[in-house]
Amino acid sequence: MREIQYHKAINEAFIEEMERDETVYLMGESLRGANYPHSEGLAKRFGDQRVLDTPICEAAFCGAAVASAMTGYRPIVDLMFIDFMYTAADEILLKAPQWRFMHGGKVNVPVVFMGAAGGGMKLANEHSQIPSSIILHSPGIKLAVPSTPYDAKGLMKTAIRDNNPVMYFWHKQLMAVTGEVPEEDYTIPFGVADVKREGTDVTVVAYSYMVQLALEVAKKLEGEISVEVVDPRTLEPFDLDAVLKSVEKTNRLVIVDEDTERCSFASELAAQVVDKGFTLLDEPIKRVCAGNYPIPGGYMEQHVLPSVEKIEAAIRSVAV
Amino acid sequence: MNDDDFVFPAVRGHGLPHLISKGVDPKYYLAEHCGKSTGSCGGVSTYHNIDTEHGFFGLAGTLGTGFPISVGYGMTSKWNGKQQVVVSCFGDGTSNRGTLHESFLMAANWKLPIVWVCENNQLSMYVPVKDHHPVENIADLAFGYGMPGEVVDGQDVVAVAKAVDKAVARARAGEGPSLIECKTERFVTHSIGLPDRIDLEDRTKDDYVELKKRDPVVLFQEKLLKEGVLTQKEMERIDQEIAVEIDAAEAFADAGSPPDPSVLDDYLYAK
Repeated sequence: MREIQYHKAINEAFIEEMERDETVYLMGESLRGANYPHSEGLAKRFGDQRVLDTPICEAAFCGAAVASAMTGYRPIVDLMFIDFMYTAADEILLKAPQWRFMHGGKVNVPVVFMGAAGGGMKLANEHSQIPSSIILHSPGIKLAVPSTPYDAKGLMKTAIRDNNPVMYFWHKQLMAVTGEVPEEDYTIPFGVADVKREGTDVTVVAYSYMVQLALEVAKKLEGEISVEVVDPRTLEPFDLDAVLKSVEKTNRLVIVDEDTERCSFASELAAQVVDKGFTLLDEPIKRVCAGNYPIPGGYMEQHVLPSVEKIEAAIRSVAV
Repeated sequence: MNDDDFVFPAVRGHGLPHLISKGVDPKYYLAEHCGKSTGSCGGVSTYHNIDTEHGFFGLAGTLGTGFPISVGYGMTSKWNGKQQVVVSCFGDGTSNRGTLHESFLMAANWKLPIVWVCENNQLSMYVPVKDHHPVENIADLAFGYGMPGEVVDGQDVVAVAKAVDKAVARARAGEGPSLIECKTERFVTHSIGLPDRIDLEDRTKDDYVELKKRDPVVLFQEKLLKEGVLTQKEMERIDQEIAVEIDAAEAFADAGSPPDPSVLDDYLYAK
């Protein structure tokens, strides 16, 4: 099968969905000039009615997208760096997820919000976050977190076709990663985890770029500790059964989450596994997350973010 | 402006020109950029900058932060009896933010001593100002809030200084905020490593040649020479002094060490 880069996979998802459905359009800052390569070529192909450069007014364009979505369109809103979503917190966290519910299910809000997430580029606090927990704490919006080009394309297509708000985090460290992507149309259902590597000793649940780090560690430990890497691909909806099934086999669980540890997805999953699978566990659940600090820039970033060393240490600590 | 007058720098450039203009030694800026513990923020930020002695209480990477922060500086200035003023700088792109309107409103209502300075380089990343702002002058936003709004040639150092002086005097006299829009140009790309585009078209070498004809530094040098304020020789000496200062800043940044991880806890909460 041909291999393409992660950003190209997203770009293809846009093109295919925009050609399939004329209500799909893209909106954000400097998208026409392609602030990131995933919007490259779209302005020329679809014109300025379907690739809209907005002023820097996130609250206005995210709110507008909510209304546009409930009145017949399917906007994809690109926030550039996902950290900028805080400037439209009311629209993304209170309006998009809650509008349908608060109006008795009488309207749908099929909007996709997306942005560049994650650290590793020493860009500091306002350009390095992966704010999963904040999204998960807002019932009514789904969260897709692709770790490969294949998942990036399939999940984006599903996000666009979903009748609900979807937040889509693409990771800056994955942008240039290549992987197999079929040329024919496919989608990936939300809430279905993918076992990225099979193993028998320790289950590692990781998402987005952390999957790549977990795979790196799993490979390193080959022959010593057999690591199974489970990638949920979407955190809402979440495939708890896949995790329990894996833990049933390994009896050990390490959760790798690049978001800040306190009140994180990792914390939530640990609670759910204790609740539903306590007897499966032979060791305490370990979380490898960003430390409870703002993400610093420069040399200091490494002290806060998860790393292969921290993941390896956590795996070793339970693989007794 | 006085040493203790507050400044919120425009984000692009991370405050370097604003810091230098108030006499801050750039070596702390450079060391911060290099992530060294000798940097102005101890090396944990790499692009935020601070110098409280000179009225800089920080910078942020989310556009539009400077508007409400400046309102707070304005409240302090009005209350503490020190006759301080605030100069709050932002680009044409940042002028899009809703926080501008909320902050203009509060500052005007409370007659806060703030000078809002829009550095309009006519490009918001790849989007030309005509495509993100519906009228020719961003300065016109002032009128809805009862502020003076003035457009100046941003390539004319003296014109900018005069306009800011007038607005600072007005603010210090308790007459409230003003807005100044400096029309300028962007000489380089939005961010190093990215293409330099206007909408879908890359800018060309010829474009830069044209733009550089109105380089404010060159224009000011010509003016100083013509008016006999400085001789060519004196200007060369200044250039040499600048080169020495830049070398010293680089040496200072190189000599610094990365911060110790223990500072994470020190910086998180005050004792």
